[in-house]
Amino acid sequence: MARSVFAKCVGVPLVAALLSSGSEIAHAQRGGRGAAGQATGGAPRDTTTGFVIRDKTVITNCGDCHTRDSAGYMQRISYERKTPEGWEMSIRRMASLNKVDLDPAAARTIVRYLADNQGLAPAELRPGRFEVERRMIEYRYTADPRTETTCRACHSMGRVITQRRTRGEWELLVATHRGLYPDADFQAFRRGGPAMTDSGVAVPHPMDVAITHLARAFPLRTPEWAAWSATMRAPHLEGSWLLSGSEPGRGAFFGHVTVARGAADGEFTTQASYRYADGGPVVHRTGKSIVYTGYQWRGRSTDPATRARDSVGLREVMFVEPGWEEMSGRWFTGGYEELGMDVSLKKFGASPVVVAMAPRALHVGSRAQDVTLFGANLPRTIAPSTVDFGPGVTVTSIVRSSPDSVTVRVNVDSAAAIGKRDLYAAGSSLRDAAVIYDKIDRIKLSPVSGLARVGGVVFPKQLQQFDAIAYYNGPDGRADTDDDLEIGRVNATWSLEEYATTYDDDDIKFVGTLSPTGLFTPNLDGPNPARRRSRNNIGDVWVVASYTPPVPKARPIKARALLIVTVPLYVKFQPWQAQP
Amino acid sequence: MKHLKPINQKAQRIEATLQNDVVALQQGGAPGTGPHIPLGCSFVFSPGWEVDSNGGTSGLCQPVERDLFDCHITCFWPAQVPDLYNHAPDWTAKCASAQKDWRKIDLIFP
Repeated sequence: MARSVFAKCVGVPLVAALLSSGSEIAHAQRGGRGAAGQATGGAPRDTTTGFVIRDKTVITNCGDCHTRDSAGYMQRISYERKTPEGWEMSIRRMASLNKVDLDPAAARTIVRYLADNQGLAPAELRPGRFEVERRMIEYRYTADPRTETTCRACHSMGRVITQRRTRGEWELLVATHRGLYPDADFQAFRRGGPAMTDSGVAVPHPMDVAITHLARAFPLRTPEWAAWSATMRAPHLEGSWLLSGSEPGRGAFFGHVTVARGAADGEFTTQASYRYADGGPVVHRTGKSIVYTGYQWRGRSTDPATRARDSVGLREVMFVEPGWEEMSGRWFTGGYEELGMDVSLKKFGASPVVVAMAPRALHVGSRAQDVTLFGANLPRTIAPSTVDFGPGVTVTSIVRSSPDSVTVRVNVDSAAAIGKRDLYAAGSSLRDAAVIYDKIDRIKLSPVSGLARVGGVVFPKQLQQFDAIAYYNGPDGRADTDDDLEIGRVNATWSLEEYATTYDDDDIKFVGTLSPTGLFTPNLDGPNPARRRSRNNIGDVWVVASYTPPVPKARPIKARALLIVTVPLYVKFQPWQAQP
Repeated sequence: MKHLKPINQKAQRIEATLQNDVVALQQGGAPGTGPHIPLGCSFVFSPGWEVDSNGGTSGLCQPVERDLFDCHITCFWPAQVPDLYNHAPDWTAKCASAQKDWRKIDLIFP
């Protein structure tokens, strides 16, 4: 990896110089109000008031370095807001680089206090949920592409947009980066060329552009935080919740979660049971959680049946909607948090409620199709006339019923209109419950671009699950237009094809294997003597899915996704030591 | 390729390769359609960590162990490789040559 010799030579002195300038800014913060130091480029001084720190554990453990003034403001800490993960990463850095001696209980207390008192409001976190839910999505930060270019050189923009700081603190964040990672100057922070244009106009460095933007877009004090912190409290989530979700590679599942109060306010224990729409036994999970900032559920659950070999279980990151009636998020595991499921929980009381149905897609003209509705408090005896799928769908009989599921038999009229249907059943309604379709025009893979990392010897493997999703092109007959109708996940046949980027490209022989359910497992890490120049088992391949609709004379429909199989990460800035 | 015949070895290799899709050999492309870089990948390309500047792995320094310690010493991939300056000053202590002793390299949680 050819790098600048200049970068190597200037690294160490630059650290000293930058840490020195950083400490000057930090010094200017002392005194509580006015967190900014010498603003870059003549920008106005930020006089934002910080947050008074009242927690004894924070004061005792952090106060030696972060001086607390007579008004209760602590250097740096008072001028930032972050997610629990953000605070935990800061604390881990203090321990690893600044030799702070913290016991785990104190670290947990500090994360809890700071996340609750200097966290993000629900509206502020919403755009950055993918970061805390560890989702590999196609995210573009459009508010300022220049800032995105600067930050994502090394890491996800999600880390950036899930923080709030004063301008002085954004400056210090950049200074810390420059001090700790001196190559950042040459890779992203500073530009080449003259300081001014011919007309004498100063041209800012990318880092200055980013600071100006971030200070404006993500300030410490916001109306959202003012409103949320006024009403925020430990949420009351005890009770029964309906669980519905979807797991890539497996499909929809439904069940219940019983949430009970834990040892303290905002802490909970859970008992979950659910089953997949494609069959199989009921899955049971027991877990515990903490809800930070009044809405950020962070938990961990294990399946008693597999606990002996899976003590880690699933991380649970969920967003509790204001009102405490719904929450949603992702439960995940894996060496890179790459395996998981989307979950949605809805609280229920004594009334009947339906949350999902399976199968969701119904073909026009189908006869005696069994459909199962999932929910709670469903009547044991239910009349077909009380289950209404809308025009063109007739419920002919009730096959079986229990309080949490009802299976009905339906006929779909051959002239039924194509489109989604709202469901009304036993006094409960469900929007867009069903999809009526007449043909599958195409399938599309999810994700359209995957990433896996070799591992298994020293480092963990990063796996990649693919799903094939069927679509109807809609009345216009064209793909990828607004009238397209998603029919749902289908069971496809999977294969790999070479993605040729070089002469005699042979990646496909080495990168790994694809299971019959679309799960790619990469090969081992380390140099492979069997490859030219002992290359690692990395490469680029196409993942190809083929699906033949179950109708007469149907031809296979194919789709493909690009899969990058690449090298491991040798460092992981992983939070969650202080969380359940 | 219907109206073209390969007349030298390189052209013959190209023709053989065209049994599959040749993507990275294409030049240009529609405006605004740069290579796709998956989320979470570094955008520093010299030649790149997860992917190169074409969005693929063919241009990467390989095997990664060949140059790993240089990445460590220069702190060139701070989110991908532990750095010598601060986070892992002793990272190479158990392993004199990454290419030979790569099984002794530790994963660092800073």
